[in-house]
Amino acid sequence: MSKQIYDVIVVGTGAGGGMAIKTLCEAGLRVCALNSGRALDPAKDFRNHRMPWDLKYRGFGDPKLRQHAEAGFVGDTEYVQDVWEREFTYTTAPGTSWSWPRCSAVGGKTNFWGRSSARFADIDFRAASLDGQDVDWPVAYEEIAPYYTRVEEMIGVASTVQNRPSNPDGHYLPPMNFRCFDMILQAGAKKVGVPYLPDRIAQLTVEHDGHPACHFCGDCTSGCEVGAFFSTPWFLLPKAAATGNLELRTNAIATNVTTDQNGNASGIRYVDRETKREYEVYGRAVVMAASCLETARIMLNSKSGHWPTGIANSSGQLGRNLCDHLYGTAASGYLPQLLGQASFPDNVSDSSIAWMPRWQNLNHPQEEKFVRGYSVYPDGGCWEFPIYYDQIEGFGSSFKREMKRRYPTPVTFMTQIPSLPSASNFVDIDPVAKDSFAIPKIRIHFKWGDNELQMWKHAKKACADVLESAGGILESAADEPETPGYSQHEIGTCRMGNDPKSSVTNRFGQTHDVANLFVCDSSVFANCTDKTPLLSILAFSLRTSEYIMEQFRRETLPRMGLR
Amino acid sequence: MAGQNIERREILRILAIAAGVAALPGFTKWNFACGHPQQMLTVLKPAGYQPLFFTHQEHASIERLTDIIIPSDETPGAREAGVAEFVDVMAARDFELQRNFRAGLNWLDAHSKRLYGNGFLVIGADQQTALLQTLAYKEKFRPGEEPGREFFSLLREYTVMGFYTSEIGLKELDFPGFKFYAESPACPHKQDPEHRHLPASRR
Repeated sequence: MSKQIYDVIVVGTGAGGGMAIKTLCEAGLRVCALNSGRALDPAKDFRNHRMPWDLKYRGFGDPKLRQHAEAGFVGDTEYVQDVWEREFTYTTAPGTSWSWPRCSAVGGKTNFWGRSSARFADIDFRAASLDGQDVDWPVAYEEIAPYYTRVEEMIGVASTVQNRPSNPDGHYLPPMNFRCFDMILQAGAKKVGVPYLPDRIAQLTVEHDGHPACHFCGDCTSGCEVGAFFSTPWFLLPKAAATGNLELRTNAIATNVTTDQNGNASGIRYVDRETKREYEVYGRAVVMAASCLETARIMLNSKSGHWPTGIANSSGQLGRNLCDHLYGTAASGYLPQLLGQASFPDNVSDSSIAWMPRWQNLNHPQEEKFVRGYSVYPDGGCWEFPIYYDQIEGFGSSFKREMKRRYPTPVTFMTQIPSLPSASNFVDIDPVAKDSFAIPKIRIHFKWGDNELQMWKHAKKACADVLESAGGILESAADEPETPGYSQHEIGTCRMGNDPKSSVTNRFGQTHDVANLFVCDSSVFANCTDKTPLLSILAFSLRTSEYIMEQFRRETLPRMGLR
Repeated sequence: MAGQNIERREILRILAIAAGVAALPGFTKWNFACGHPQQMLTVLKPAGYQPLFFTHQEHASIERLTDIIIPSDETPGAREAGVAEFVDVMAARDFELQRNFRAGLNWLDAHSKRLYGNGFLVIGADQQTALLQTLAYKEKFRPGEEPGREFFSLLREYTVMGFYTSEIGLKELDFPGFKFYAESPACPHKQDPEHRHLPASRR
């Protein structure tokens, strides 16, 4: 039997993979997409409209499964089940703590993401030139801007034009409205010179491109059953499937990139999750989009005579330059103005309607004790669960009354602080540990550096100032930031660059070493900026996918050699 | 933002914290050093609910305690919301919680006997409240009652969790979510951005 050779094998169906799959299928290429988990049925799998009292453990989840919560993990809940992996497929080096929630469902984390969708800016792409730290991106803002525009048109992003140097404006749907606490905090922020503006949020405030407008039920991150915010299963994969060029294989856990006699990529070897049988699938090109850490893991595990330390790793940079967003509650408290007021539907987005976009180091790259900058997501008001209860002492009718009086008032500030690349932050393959599919685990080496900790300190002061200027009462701030990995925004393990000696891929996401191997997820990013990565993953994946189309047209890809 | 909302993350964290209480020394001591004073009391007749973990006696104590924490007053409280059952359901799946609750209930009964000569369920309502005061309010704390304070704090946490995720509890807060809106709800007081002149609160 002659083996079938697809044009392109795409590993992963999240943001990067989904965009590549759609773009390449529409270009007429035959695509085989591998996804490590199952496909979701929104009507069955998304229980976001359930009330907590309809769930056995009231949404807290089965206490027996609590070990994941204790590991700082966000995973399956009673609202979302059999979607997040329970197995830990990584180890941590001594001194490292890291949490790596893995979403294996088709569409990956796009099913549940926070939807903040700001463009990276010139100030981000050229950060190294401005402050002398590390290296610039090999791509200028002007080059990627048209891709951002196209992505925004595809997915629908609600925001306003804001004219800020760190936040290039895009093409926006009408913004989400500010709630009472936004108005109050905005007035306070103004007094201390901090911007408080509508976030860029990929949530459809109006109908868009055949997708319905949001109904603001407020439980987006349990999955949207009508597809009113961007996810690849709602927005991209159906378009790919409609071309007839897509074969999607689910429960296919990629183990390594296979190579031909010349060391070029020939396809992917994978294990079937249910039968544990091994398969190979062949393609003229391979696109890695398994998520930053998983892409690195698969490539590092792709060892051969040609690639003794992992495929496309002649630079030794594969797995290096791991960066993450430092998340932490910089301040929390309440707004006395709202005590005892009627409740209001504040939680209609389950994410940030407002943001405090980077305001530091804008006039001069070294105004502050740190370089670059961070953003903050404020949130508050009437949430489903009154998490402020531990601020109220005692019991009885007075406690019950105070719980109700406080209901509209709480506010918190969550930081999004970029870590700087560091030689000591990287992943490699654990020499011993293997997962239940006998695939070697990766080992994570990571610590927050001084620059990001300086920002964390700065953010605590700044958020307290905003809250207090708004007439609010500051009650607490986290002593420590969240565990690294918590943001699920890790980037950098296959960094792009012009120099093959110091980077894994070129400026188009094509590996320097292997001309038919491409990377379409956040692992190619040179730094993580203060912005959420997903919009940029889509833009860079679109650009790489069109570059791949071009290579097919010009027939520049290597012909497959004998294996 | 990452894919999960802050609120659910907080809830997971609360669970983790609640579990961490077991690390405190007072509890294990009480767990193993105490007898089972409740056995000496008349076992109350179960009110329809068959506890999964607690004895009927313990369940009655949990019910009474949750009722004191969130009472039925002008509006329904923990009793109507079935909070004791929630506590039992959670405890049934959580060994550490079982240990902590059982040890705490034993401590409470022993403490009640020391102070009032009878187990917690038997003493008067005023005495029950007075006993809990010193566990619940910082300024009334007394040395030597640390295990009791930890227990009360843990049970109060689970009472809050159970009550404010019940239909009754969310009605009490007038929870506004899970409804459908044509556009994202906007602050109705735009002429007063600092909200200095809002109508007087309802209660």
